[in-house]
Amino acid sequence: MSTPEGVTISRTGETGAFGGELLSVNFGPHHPSTHGVLRLIVDLDGEQVRSVKPVIGYLHTGIEKQMEALRWQQGVVVTDRHDYLSPPINNLAYALAVERLLGIDVPPRAKALRVIMSELTRLSSHLVWMGTSGLELGAMSMLMYCFRERDTILDMNEEISGFRMHTSYIRPGGVMADATPRFLEMLDAFVRAMPGHVDEYEDLLTMNPIWRSRTIGIGKLSADDAKVLGATGPMLRGSGVAWDLRRAIPYSGYENYDFEVATSDLCDCYGRYLVRIKEMREAVKILRQALDKLPDGPVNVDDRKILPPPREELETSMEAVIHHFKLFTEGYSVPAGDVYVAVESGRGENGCYVVSDGTHKPRRVKFRSASFVNLQALERMALNHMIADLIAIIGTADAVLGDVDR
Amino acid sequence: MIADNLVVERGVSAGDAWITVDPANLRSALSALKDDGYRLLVFLTCVDHLLDASRNWPARYELVYELRNMETPEHLRVRAFIDGDPPRVDSVHDLFPPANWEERETYDMFGVKFTGHPDLTRILMPDDWVGYPLRRDYPVGGEVVEFSEEHETWQTAPEKA
Repeated sequence: MSTPEGVTISRTGETGAFGGELLSVNFGPHHPSTHGVLRLIVDLDGEQVRSVKPVIGYLHTGIEKQMEALRWQQGVVVTDRHDYLSPPINNLAYALAVERLLGIDVPPRAKALRVIMSELTRLSSHLVWMGTSGLELGAMSMLMYCFRERDTILDMNEEISGFRMHTSYIRPGGVMADATPRFLEMLDAFVRAMPGHVDEYEDLLTMNPIWRSRTIGIGKLSADDAKVLGATGPMLRGSGVAWDLRRAIPYSGYENYDFEVATSDLCDCYGRYLVRIKEMREAVKILRQALDKLPDGPVNVDDRKILPPPREELETSMEAVIHHFKLFTEGYSVPAGDVYVAVESGRGENGCYVVSDGTHKPRRVKFRSASFVNLQALERMALNHMIADLIAIIGTADAVLGDVDR
Repeated sequence: MIADNLVVERGVSAGDAWITVDPANLRSALSALKDDGYRLLVFLTCVDHLLDASRNWPARYELVYELRNMETPEHLRVRAFIDGDPPRVDSVHDLFPPANWEERETYDMFGVKFTGHPDLTRILMPDDWVGYPLRRDYPVGGEVVEFSEEHETWQTAPEKA
């Protein structure tokens, strides 16, 4: 956390470019525009930002420590909660990592359902981003429009998994349950309606003079800087680098879908906005393809050592009872070794590094979070901008503080 | 190309290529790999192998650097095993800027001292925190429960747990 004393404003004694004294101002942690609890120590010269020092850790929940105390199948529930705007994508990173260590491959239908859930999550995460960023930069009605569609997505989450936010739907060995016919109907209606909704957002923002003047030319991050600072996701693509893990290192069958990698050469907040709009359109495209060619078949691996037997078998088969008992008392063991799997979340590369020592609990689980790395580019983007622009820059960096602090 | 004399061991784990280097050569190895095109440090972290019977580990702490060549895109994991109290290793924040916070986090959670880091302070835990939470001998539930009426009577201090 490393904090100077808990002051709100302190004098630095240094003289700024305008002859005045530089002031050190405390920004946050409970500021409405910080999307969580992010604290910044900002050195101000008049209204201009001369240095930004993020202070994080206010949302630290010890998730990596908790993972070590849970059995492999229990850990899924915890992965939901670090980046709380994209739970199924976090589940997917963890599930893929455990599956690689176990050496199993899930059936095609499970892969397609995983893609559907990932893309729905990407949409809902971008919707939250657009709603809240619009709110901060003076486009108040965005929040209402965006949360309207997000609610539809949460309804679908509820239909398929029983939970609205922390679904724990994607698990090592497959998914929690097959999609219900109602879910597929809801998804079909959503995919039909969504392009029109994206047009609506664009009508409200793309040519909106206030939105444009608050974002164009603000928070410049050149492609080289973005690469050097390790930025991923819309931060990197907004600087013109066509890097998307779904395309570069495909997972869960993404190589079978036809989509474009959204980029923008503007390198500023507006560019990052355009990238997210484009990504929403591409996500709808992927959803349509996944829905049209959703394969039939099982949604889980047929391995009783990893997943419990169907409920009806427990009444007739002694072996099923034994498997059930073993799985819920001891769990399963994963061969010793380590693996890193990266997936593309709404914010960038969210990865999961898993180390197994051959027992029924992980030795170490490390989450590589996009927000944590992207936030380090904040100072580079905010330097010499006005303090009001800092809001736009934090907004388009789209850091989720639960993901930063884990 | 990374010189063979820097590599102690190499192998593949669940499809991921890895090499082990001597901690004294870590900086030069990472620097050589950066010149080879592995320009992105995806993450760095530490694994505590206390009482880990899965193999004969050379030391208790294993530092893990995941590198990526974004052109090809190839991955390489670089490991270094260190011991000591506190364990020490050279900082690479100037080679790979994202390492700055990652090293602070590793210091915060494992107590690994990165020599040459400009601001090696705690990043997630409070500044006055005692102990390194992700070490395997740090108990779950051993932390002080703040804001609890009863915590005087039932909380266990880390050193007693």
